[in-house]
Amino acid sequence: MSAVGISNVAKYYGKVAALDDVSMTVQDGEFFGLLGPSGGGKTTLLRAIAGFVEPDRGEITIAGKAVSNIPINKRDIGMMFQNYALFPHLTVAENIGFGLSVRHRPKAEIAERVRQLLELVRLSGFEGRKPKQMSGGQQQRIALARALSTNPKVLLLDEPLGALDKKLREEMQFELKQIQRDVGITTVFVTHDQEEALTLSDRIAIMNGGRVEQIGAPRDIYERPRTAFAASFLGTANFFEGVVSGRGDGVTRIELPDGQAIFTTDEAPAGARVTAAVRPEKLLAGPVGAQGQEGRTNTIQGRVMAEVFAGNSVTYKVDAGNKPVTVFVQNRTDERFGPDQTIALTWAPYHTILVAA
Amino acid sequence: MTSSARRLRAIIGLSGPTALWLTVTVVLPLAAMLVFSFLTVVPVGGREAAFTLKHYTDFFTRPLYLTNAWRSVRLGLEVTFFCALIGYPAAYILAKAIKGRWREALLLLIVLPFWSNSLVRTFSWTMVLSDNGLLARTIHGILPFAPSFDLLYTYPAIVIGLVQSYLPYMILTCYISLQAIEDSLTEAAYSLGASRFDVFRRVILPLSLPGLIAGSVLTFVPVLGAFMEPRILGGQQAIMLGTLIENQFTASFNWPLGAALGFIMLAIVLLIMGLFYPVLKKHISVN
Amino acid sequence: MNKASSALSGLYLLLILFFLYIPIIVMMIMSFNRSELYLLPFEFDLVWYQQLAQNDQLIGAARNSIVIALVNTVIATTLGTLTALCFARYEFRGKRVLQGMLVPTLTMPWLITGTAMLMFFFWSGIGRGLHSILLGHVALSLPYVVIIVGARLRSLGVSMEEAAATLGANGWQTFWRVTAPLMAPGIVAAALFAFAISFDQFVISYFLAPVGTSTLPVQIYSAIRKGFTPEINAISTIIILASMVLMIGFARFSKFGGER
Repeated sequence: MSAVGISNVAKYYGKVAALDDVSMTVQDGEFFGLLGPSGGGKTTLLRAIAGFVEPDRGEITIAGKAVSNIPINKRDIGMMFQNYALFPHLTVAENIGFGLSVRHRPKAEIAERVRQLLELVRLSGFEGRKPKQMSGGQQQRIALARALSTNPKVLLLDEPLGALDKKLREEMQFELKQIQRDVGITTVFVTHDQEEALTLSDRIAIMNGGRVEQIGAPRDIYERPRTAFAASFLGTANFFEGVVSGRGDGVTRIELPDGQAIFTTDEAPAGARVTAAVRPEKLLAGPVGAQGQEGRTNTIQGRVMAEVFAGNSVTYKVDAGNKPVTVFVQNRTDERFGPDQTIALTWAPYHTILVAA
Repeated sequence: MTSSARRLRAIIGLSGPTALWLTVTVVLPLAAMLVFSFLTVVPVGGREAAFTLKHYTDFFTRPLYLTNAWRSVRLGLEVTFFCALIGYPAAYILAKAIKGRWREALLLLIVLPFWSNSLVRTFSWTMVLSDNGLLARTIHGILPFAPSFDLLYTYPAIVIGLVQSYLPYMILTCYISLQAIEDSLTEAAYSLGASRFDVFRRVILPLSLPGLIAGSVLTFVPVLGAFMEPRILGGQQAIMLGTLIENQFTASFNWPLGAALGFIMLAIVLLIMGLFYPVLKKHISVN
Repeated sequence: MNKASSALSGLYLLLILFFLYIPIIVMMIMSFNRSELYLLPFEFDLVWYQQLAQNDQLIGAARNSIVIALVNTVIATTLGTLTALCFARYEFRGKRVLQGMLVPTLTMPWLITGTAMLMFFFWSGIGRGLHSILLGHVALSLPYVVIIVGARLRSLGVSMEEAAATLGANGWQTFWRVTAPLMAPGIVAAALFAFAISFDQFVISYFLAPVGTSTLPVQIYSAIRKGFTPEINAISTIIILASMVLMIGFARFSKFGGER
């Protein structure tokens, strides 16, 4: 059974579509990431699931039940807000116990549940503090504990780690994933940070302009992006535009405007204009002439324009026929390429991915 | 009940009483004032009122009114000028040279008199300014042969009293806009080679101008309508547009004339407010 | 900033404080001086406070002022808070009109507001009296309540209420457990301000007061105009201390001067 179902949901602000016919299914226990640029619709979708935004069209289900007529407070959700929205006038324990308290649960039960949750987020002993007396990371964990307090059917996280600094964010990513797995709660979260999406999510939906660009496991989206936007938003990509000029030997030949040709294992009809994406780390850089298996391997030549040293790798910007190409080279040998040196870039045809422009 | 009906009921429930209250105490009185200013008498107790423009034409033809209206405007300008002259540097010192708890305490000390009873404060000046008041005695203590010294019941006394009344407000509005100027802006100007004077003239003054203007308008307008301060401190010098209007309601009982004079004053106020509306909008925003 | 200019700055502020406070301090001292003509040397005496205690007119006026200020505080704070909530929650036609209705009493000279009320109340039969003074005071203090409570609401934002809803709280629970306690400091600040506005208000009361009864400021004004007695110093000292205490309270609750 799907924990959260979104079918054909649309939301307009005036003429602008914040959500444009969005459909997706979140599985039970899944950690599901909504990734996209600001204005992409991801926050609107999260707020529609919570009930703060009423869709103009389409249906949202939580645990198989349509929720359009269920008010926010009856939806049985847990939500963590970007700025945490901890109640400043209540103690940590009162914040975490709020959801149970408004459900008129007995005091002893609330106290016990608060104790459990504080243990879960490793903040036992802080019951009596006010949120303002806690650090950013601690506030984040209190907000998480509060969102989990009522055993909701789905946990919604709005930029959960956005307010933390880089180091703390990396620590919390790990911890958040651990807690989510231990509790086993279906979780939908919004982020604009691709690294966060990759590390946390079981599956990711990439959203842009109110539409879903692609849904899939992080690795699948990274290796087989379906659109140019997905390829460039999640990771970096080089794009080649050309015309399909034939197929044979299990590969499709694409002719580039400058006369060079590249090959892909993807299929496309002859004569079609296509866009191909290649990840910079899939390219192998070397001196011209050292390459062997013509026909099965892609080889293009280019002139080194810039070199950026990043410790474990070196990034080269290469001009390949008036087209800038980015290459990541692992810092494994002493081999370096000087400015203006012409080098050859090679890669396997299955690393050339045809994407929708 | 549908959600839009519930919404409407909530809106009416929440803001209806306020709307009603303000209709009775502000909207209708101002409308009545406008109407009465065109009538010969106030239509109560069966008195017949006729339409007339006399009160307005009187204002523009009889020197008594024009002269006193100008005296009020001049008083407003002078008080505003002194408030700005004294207040702006004080606000600058508070915003830029004093930090932490001291700043908060000083600001509160400065604003406290503004928030306390203005009548009593005005009255307290009589003890300082009269011929055997504190000021005269201090001066005679230092210069025993100084001429007799009686500021009370003079025009300067009115100005002094009003400057004291509105100075805190000027300091506060200037302080708010000065304090919002981040230090990084002035630092950036210095780093680009600007002198202290350049920084002040080209960065700080333009950025704090809205506060200075707002403070000036919000000082000028109430001073224009002042009547109690001139009466207590000004003696024979007290006659102004404000006191003339007061007179129509408390002594000569020519209400339509008072209403017309009131509307002329309001016209001056609206003109000034309209002129500076973009700047004022922020300072009197009720949303 | 170097030492000399910082000393100069300090001196300047000191002079300003001197200018602002000297008349008030002189008045306070004179209220304890025995001499009726403010003659020195200073001789401490409570004679003017004793006389004040027997001045039924001033005491009656003071009682009127306090009662009106209290009722005004309750009404203005309630109406103003509801309006601020309405402004914060809803966009509706007429919102701008209502906001516009709040502006005149803030920006027009009170002389105009007061005389306009006088004419309309007289013509419509509402008449003069303590009730019409109350009507006017509420109109004056309402806008301040809306501004003060509104600022508090805006600084809180909506996320706290949204969080309460996701945790299962219904509208009432959210209001009483989250919104109201968070608004409370703003409401207290607004109430103190409303009280002070009414208690110190002279102009409106002056025009609306009927013959015979009046509020304290009106009574003081007529005493001053008639040629006052040092009792006025005594009552003025009490008033000024009371309104300063009120305003220090207001500053505390409204976090005047900003948070650091």
